[in-house]
Amino acid sequence: MKGELTLKTRREFLRTSLLGGAVTWTLPTFLANTFAALQAEAADKATQTTTGRDTNILVVLQMAGGNDGLNTVVPCGNDFYHRARPKLALPEDKILKLNHDVGLHGSLTGFKALYDAGQLAVIQGVGYPNPNRSHFRSTEIWQTASDSQKVESYGWLGRYFDNACPGSDPAVAVSVGRQMPQAFAAKTPTGVSLENPQNYRFIPPGRGQAAEMTSAEESFRRLNELEPEMAENSGGTIGALRGAITHPGSALDFIERTALDAQVSSDEIRAIVKRLENQATYPASQLGNSLKLVAKLIGGAMPTRIYYVSQGGYDTHTNQVNAHDRLLRDLGDSVKAFVEDMKSQGNLSRVLLMTFSEFGRRVAENASGGTDHGAAAPMFVVGDCVKAGLLGRYPSLAPEDLFQGDLKYQVDFRSVYATVLETWLKTRSEPILGQKFPQLGLV
Amino acid sequence: MFKPLAKDRWGFATAAHLFNRAGFSGTPAQIERLASLELEEAVAHFVDYEALADDTPNPEWAKADPDRAEKLRAARNAGEQERRVMQREFQQAERQHLIQLRHWWLDRMANGPRPLQEKMVLFWHGHFATSMTKVRDAYLMWRQNDVFRRLATGNWLELLLEVAKDPAMLVWLDQAQSRKEHPNENFAREVLELFTLGEGHYTEKDVTEAARALTGWSYARPRQEFIERPFWHDRGQKVIFGQTGNFDGEDFLKLVVAQPQAARFITAKLWKFFAGNDPSEDLANALAAEFRRSGNNFKPLLRAMFSSEAFYAPEIVRNQVKSPVQWLVASVRVLERDLPPPLLCVGLTRSLGQDLFAPPNVKGWDGGLSWITTSTLLARYNEAATLVQGHLAPFAGASLANRPKAILPAERRRENPRLGRVDVEKIFSEQERSDKEALIAAMEKRLLQSPLKPDQQQTLRDYLAAHAELDDTHIRNALRLVMSTPEYQLT
Repeated sequence: MKGELTLKTRREFLRTSLLGGAVTWTLPTFLANTFAALQAEAADKATQTTTGRDTNILVVLQMAGGNDGLNTVVPCGNDFYHRARPKLALPEDKILKLNHDVGLHGSLTGFKALYDAGQLAVIQGVGYPNPNRSHFRSTEIWQTASDSQKVESYGWLGRYFDNACPGSDPAVAVSVGRQMPQAFAAKTPTGVSLENPQNYRFIPPGRGQAAEMTSAEESFRRLNELEPEMAENSGGTIGALRGAITHPGSALDFIERTALDAQVSSDEIRAIVKRLENQATYPASQLGNSLKLVAKLIGGAMPTRIYYVSQGGYDTHTNQVNAHDRLLRDLGDSVKAFVEDMKSQGNLSRVLLMTFSEFGRRVAENASGGTDHGAAAPMFVVGDCVKAGLLGRYPSLAPEDLFQGDLKYQVDFRSVYATVLETWLKTRSEPILGQKFPQLGLV
Repeated sequence: MFKPLAKDRWGFATAAHLFNRAGFSGTPAQIERLASLELEEAVAHFVDYEALADDTPNPEWAKADPDRAEKLRAARNAGEQERRVMQREFQQAERQHLIQLRHWWLDRMANGPRPLQEKMVLFWHGHFATSMTKVRDAYLMWRQNDVFRRLATGNWLELLLEVAKDPAMLVWLDQAQSRKEHPNENFAREVLELFTLGEGHYTEKDVTEAARALTGWSYARPRQEFIERPFWHDRGQKVIFGQTGNFDGEDFLKLVVAQPQAARFITAKLWKFFAGNDPSEDLANALAAEFRRSGNNFKPLLRAMFSSEAFYAPEIVRNQVKSPVQWLVASVRVLERDLPPPLLCVGLTRSLGQDLFAPPNVKGWDGGLSWITTSTLLARYNEAATLVQGHLAPFAGASLANRPKAILPAERRRENPRLGRVDVEKIFSEQERSDKEALIAAMEKRLLQSPLKPDQQQTLRDYLAAHAELDDTHIRNALRLVMSTPEYQLT
């Protein structure tokens, strides 16, 4: 029964057929017959169908709370830096130098190793015009790639799904966490969010009573099955597979399809997590666990193009030193482990990881051994294909060059998005970002 | 004009529909009672809610803090360290209040005497989508909620005027800081774009001029109330919608509601909220005309809507996705169980995708199909177990993932026994509990108010057949299964 169910969703049609023999599910005849039609139409529509093994993957890592960019990528030789931060300025022995003027925070040994291996790009001074210092609003600006004064409903990745991946697998985007990031918000709701793969499923009642659980699970699957005639009618084209078969446009039709998608992706994700082992040692942290899960899903050939993970705690208003040390160590070590994992899987060339934070922090430290909300900060991009090194110019720390005590941005974050969309996700950025942004030599 | 619903169509199904949409669903007995009335009386039962006494007490902290000015002064004079401690304490108290506030409102929806009033408050909350994330004062959020309740079905201009002077709104859309030297356009723009007319029905010039007219309407933080600051007000001439005058905020809002588009915009949105889809061109015209005829009052419009044939059309009935709040409140009502404890309610609605008092952005919730994703659908299926079986679904309570300290696992465990489960004997008769066919029919009537598909009925039959004697646990499992269907997500 499971096999039948699995094959009734549009995503399985697409994937199974496009993959040919790569997956083990058997292909019903009516599907095999439409194999050619499917591919033709997919090519025709410039729709990005994903097969799980051949496409590029983007991992977005949110450093929530506003990371102190100055103590992350440190302008070590700069007098203004030491003057503005009598307590917090990092001493020479706590800096991993990248060149004479700039170094990484001493906890970022993981990032230093990636940098030396040519797998890490540091984009300096990233921000946007008229910066907003509210966590909520600035996060929204980064997530929706909007102008600072404009409110956008949909996320920048959501618009990518709407533009480039219509009708594709809902698992084209996976967010590790309880909530879908605003970046995923799309006209056509897309994406799966899961905190713990064991919970991403129908949890049958009757703990400890195996027979009752099985019977309830079985009943649940049957209750959420499509009517047989719907499945038969689906053997047409991709257009037909995108829903609207028996009762066009009805809410019930939509939910029935989503219910099937949920079951299929749930079965698949849990099977992958059970089957695969991570090939690297990660820190025992929330971020480490999130990246472990992402690594498994990539290794298990999920059709996912975008993964989203986050690490919280960067809102360091008080006693920043220890907290920031710990956060950055976790960040560097987790990402380095992830890169090693990808490498031993043979998937590193397909994966790009990008970090962002809603803002950097004020140049001057405050009186509580911390820093307040600021503006521009560095972004990190990790992968085998990145042009490693320092990109852009470090923003000037000279008091006359600051805006209300904050660094002025050198690179608009939407230039980074545009570059990733064009060169990595291979799609036109303008329809997604609403305007043209200069690209960086990044990938 | 509105064609009223034919007399012979008024019955259990139509009464159930009215209950679902004008309120938060009813039990079979409640629906039958409603159906026994004339349509006109049934509609009046919802619309003329002032006749029903409502003595629900407000949260005890829901008043201006008499020591606020003193506290602000103390914070100003305190050292940085000390100030941060005070701030943290304040934020913790606010977090607690927010949890209580959500529960207080959900309880009004689930158990209060005036379902339509609460439904309208929910509409206004989504319309004037204001979030605690920026306002950061639970009292102000409560106060706005109270304005929505007081003017729920009242006059459009009156409501707009109150909302424009509402402290939470003044903070939320930055009107509080707007002064003649540098007017803040945020509120003026959203009034035109999101609250009253919609894009394409005003010019950029209207926005800047309206912002000038609104300057001086501000917020007095120490007293937590609206204040008019005459020195901040721009007294110069403004041109709005082509009319010239020395306008202030009140003039601006009067000009807005006088626009023909204003009636169309809000009535169409209201129709969509209650009926589930956009009105046809003809219907939109009729709604706007009815609204204007009644002097821009909502109550007559709602009465006409709920009595109209169009509202009971087949493509409307049971074709609206329940919002997470509707899902929770209606489930509690049809299962005849208590609302879960406050923290669990927060976690539950969040895992379904809706945080009251924290809409995703100024546009509010998209609603409709956007409530349903693979994750939120599975969450609905699992939260059904929370309500029916008292099993803590894995997501429930474990909210605020990015602020792990705000939620304590110990607290979850402590609350678990208080969750409670469905009392099967209360909602099914002895005959229904012993006759499986009768039980299936009773479940359909209670949970869906219409039959399942034959295949689904057969599935339930097979499930129940595995047990010669049904006990309460089996019945609860079956209830949960019916709630774990696509059909149950609709109303």
